[in-house]
Amino acid sequence: MEEKVTEQGKKMNKISVSHLGPYVSGLLRRQIFSMFLILLLIWVVLSLLSPYFFTVNNLFEITLQSAVFAIIAAGETFVIFSGGIDLSVGSVFAFSSVVGGLVFQSTGSAFLSILTSILAGIFAGFINGAFITKLKVPPFVATLGMMGIARGFALILCKGIPIYGLTKGYMWLGQGKIFGIIPVPTIIVAIIFILAFLVLKYTKFGRFTYAIGSNSEATRLSGIHIHRVTLGIYMVSGMMAAVAGVIESARLATIQPAGGAGYELLAIGAVVIGGASLFGGEGEIIATLIGALIVTTIRNGLNILGIYAFWQYVVNGLIIIIAVAIDQTRRRS
Amino acid sequence: MSKLLSMQNINKSFFGVKVLKDVNFDLNSGEVHVLLGENGAGKTTLIKILSGAYTLDSGEILIENKKIDPHSYTPKDAYDREIVTIYQHFHLVPHLSVAENIALSNFPGHYGMVAWKSIFHNAQEALENIGFSIDPKLKVRDLSVSEKQMLEIAIALSKNVKIIIMDEPTAAISKKETEILFQVIHELKKKGIGIIYISHKLEELRQVGDRITILRNGYNVGTLDTTEIDLNKIIRLMTGHEIRRTQKSRKFSHQETFAKFCQLSSPDGFQDITFTIKKGEILGLTGLVGSGKTELARAVFGIDKLPEGEIFINNIKVRFDSPRDAVRFGIGYLPEDRDVDGLCLNMAVKDNISLVFLSKLQAWFFSNRKEKTLVNRFVSHLGIKTPNISQYVKYLSGGNKQKVVFAKWLAADCQFLILDEPTIGIDVGAREEIYDLIHDFVKDYQKSLLFLSSDINEILNIADRILVMAHGKIITEVDPKETTKQRIMEYCLTGQ
Repeated sequence: MEEKVTEQGKKMNKISVSHLGPYVSGLLRRQIFSMFLILLLIWVVLSLLSPYFFTVNNLFEITLQSAVFAIIAAGETFVIFSGGIDLSVGSVFAFSSVVGGLVFQSTGSAFLSILTSILAGIFAGFINGAFITKLKVPPFVATLGMMGIARGFALILCKGIPIYGLTKGYMWLGQGKIFGIIPVPTIIVAIIFILAFLVLKYTKFGRFTYAIGSNSEATRLSGIHIHRVTLGIYMVSGMMAAVAGVIESARLATIQPAGGAGYELLAIGAVVIGGASLFGGEGEIIATLIGALIVTTIRNGLNILGIYAFWQYVVNGLIIIIAVAIDQTRRRS
Repeated sequence: MSKLLSMQNINKSFFGVKVLKDVNFDLNSGEVHVLLGENGAGKTTLIKILSGAYTLDSGEILIENKKIDPHSYTPKDAYDREIVTIYQHFHLVPHLSVAENIALSNFPGHYGMVAWKSIFHNAQEALENIGFSIDPKLKVRDLSVSEKQMLEIAIALSKNVKIIIMDEPTAAISKKETEILFQVIHELKKKGIGIIYISHKLEELRQVGDRITILRNGYNVGTLDTTEIDLNKIIRLMTGHEIRRTQKSRKFSHQETFAKFCQLSSPDGFQDITFTIKKGEILGLTGLVGSGKTELARAVFGIDKLPEGEIFINNIKVRFDSPRDAVRFGIGYLPEDRDVDGLCLNMAVKDNISLVFLSKLQAWFFSNRKEKTLVNRFVSHLGIKTPNISQYVKYLSGGNKQKVVFAKWLAADCQFLILDEPTIGIDVGAREEIYDLIHDFVKDYQKSLLFLSSDINEILNIADRILVMAHGKIITEVDPKETTKQRIMEYCLTGQ
C-alpha cells in the first residue's frame, strides 16, 4: 500500500517536473524575471550590510520613495514602447503642479487644484505630440524643447516662489496611510500600474503603441491613425508626470517650481532597467515597476549606508548604462 | 585584346534555391559585355559575386588570367583589383558637396588638415572627364536623380579601374546624358577598360554593346555578338520555350464592375491610367522595374498622393488621402517589401495578424481570447508554420511571413486586395500555396484582386486579365489565354 503511494508520488513528481521544465526555463529567459532576481539580490546584500534595511517600515519607505519615479516611469514606458522618448517629464511635473497650485491659491479647493494639474500635464503632452506628429520634430528634440518651455512657465507662473499652505485633504495623498501602515502613494502606484497593464493588454491604444514602436510604416499601412495614437501616448506621459507632481507636492506639503529636475533620467532609467528596448516595440509595464524599485532601493541603500549623497547621481548613471549594455548583448546573441 | 576576366562554372544558391547554375562569363579588355535577363534570372547575384559582396558556392574566377581564391574574396579585394561597380541605388553622402563625395574614398590631407584645393581640383577633373558640368560645391542632396547618377559614374571613373560594372546606368538619366555616357564608355573602351553593362533597353545594347550574355533561371542560355542579334532572338532566349502550366481551371466570365480607375496621373511615375476591375477578378499588372506599377499601387491605396484622377468603387466616387481611408473601404495592400512595410518584425504572429482587424474595430477594448481564436483560425486556414502564435514574426521564413501579411488582411475581411510582387523571395512550395490563397480569395465572385508582378510566367498563370505597363503608361491589355510570354516581354521591352 505504502509502496503504491510513493510510486504514485514519484510519478506525479516526474510529471510536474517535466511540466515545470520548459516553464522555468521560459521564465529565466525573460528579462523581467532576471530583473526581479537582481532586485532581491540587492535587498539581500543591503540587509546584510545594514540592520535598518530589511524592516517593514523601510520597505514601505522604499515604495513611498519610488512612487513618484514609478508613476512618471509608467507614462514614459508608453513613450518608449512606441519608439519615442520624453525628456520633458521632469519639467512638466513642475509646470503642472504650479498650475494646480495657482488654482489652489485662488479657489482653496484641493479637488479643483488636482484636476487642473492633471489637465495641465495632459496639455503639455498634447503639445509634445503635436510637435512630433504635425511638425515632424523628432521626439528627442521636441521634448527637449518642452523641457525648457515647461520649466520656464513653471517658474514664470509663480514668479519662482514655492506655493505653501496645502490642505490636509491634499496632503493625505502624499502622507496618508491606509490601515496606519500602507502609504497612500503606494496604493496609487499599484492602481496606476494595474490600469497601465490593462490598457497595454486589452485596448487598441495599447496594442498600437507597441506596433508603432515596432514598425510605424507597417502600422500606418494597416490603416491605423498613427498620429492620433502618438498624440495619445505623449498625453499619457504628460498626465503621469502631473499625477507624480501632485503626489510629491502632497508629500512635501509645498509646490516647488524647481522640483522634478532630473526626474526624466530616473524615469527613463527605470524603464530601461526593466528591459524595454529603446528602439520600441517590446517590453512589459511590470518590468518598469521593478526598474523603479531597483533605482530607489539603491538610493535608499546608499542613504542607509551613509554614503555621500552626491554619489547617487554617479550610481544612477552607471546603472542605466549597464542595463542597456546587458540588453544589447542579450539582443545580439 | 586580352582577357580581363573569366568566371567559370559559377554556382550559387540561397536557402537551398539555386540562383546560378554553372554560369560561364568572360570579359575582354576594351569590351562592353551586356548582361540581360528577367528579374530573378541571376544578373545581380553574378555581379555581386564579382564585386565580392557574395561568396560563390563553387566555380572559378580568373582576373587577368590569375586565379583568385573565391572564399577569401572580399569587396576590398575587388577594389584592389580595380573592379568598380556603379549601382542603381546611390551610395552618396547627401549633405556633403559634390567635390567631397568624389574625394571621399581617398580624402587628400595636408598636415592633418583637409586639402580643399586639391579636393576641388580633383573633382573638377573627374567631372570634366565625363563631360558633366556641375558646380562641385553643390550639396548632393540638392541634385536631381539624373545628376546623382552622373556623379556616381564620375566617382567610379575617378579611381583607377580595369573593370566597371554598370547596373542599369541609364534608368534614371535623360537622353542627352545617356549620349554623354555612351561617349564616356567609348573613351573607356579605347583605354582598354572592360565594362559589364546591365540594361533592359534593347536599343542601347546595340549602341554600346559588343557581346550579350543572356541569363535565364540562373543558366547562361547564350552569349552572342551584338551584330547577330535581333529582338525575336533575344526575347526567345530570355523567356525560353517553357511549356506553360495550364491555368488552374478557372473560367472567369463575371461582368459586374467592382471598381473603376479613371485617368490617374502622378509626377511620381505614371500618367493617364484608366482601367476597371470586376467582381471576383484577378487583374494582373506587369511591367519591368521602373514601369510605374508600384507607384500606381501605392497611390491607389492612399500611401502616396494622387494628384489627378478619380476612383469609383461600386459606382461610388471615393478618395483615399491615407491608407486608413482605403482600409476603411475594405481595401488591403501587401507591399513589395514585406519586412519594411508589411510587418512588425519584433512582434508576435498574433499581434501582426490582428492588427488591421483591431484598426477597424469600433470599441476601445478587445477580448484577448477572441483575438486568439481569430488568429488561430487564420493560422490553421493559411497553414502558417510557426511553433505558436506568440512567436516573433522575424523568426519565420519568407513564405510564412507573407502568409502572415495575407492573414492580416483576410482577418479584417477585405473586399479588394492589392498584391505587389507577393512571391518575391519565396520558395516554390510556398509560392503555390500563395496562389491557392489568391484563388480562394476570389472564388465566390465577391472579392477582387490586383496582382502586380514582373514575373511574366506567374502573371500568365494567375491572372484573368493582364495589363502591361511601361514608362508609366498602360500599353495594352491582354487575355492570358490568347497571348504568349514572348508577346508580353516584347511589350515590356519596346513599350509599344
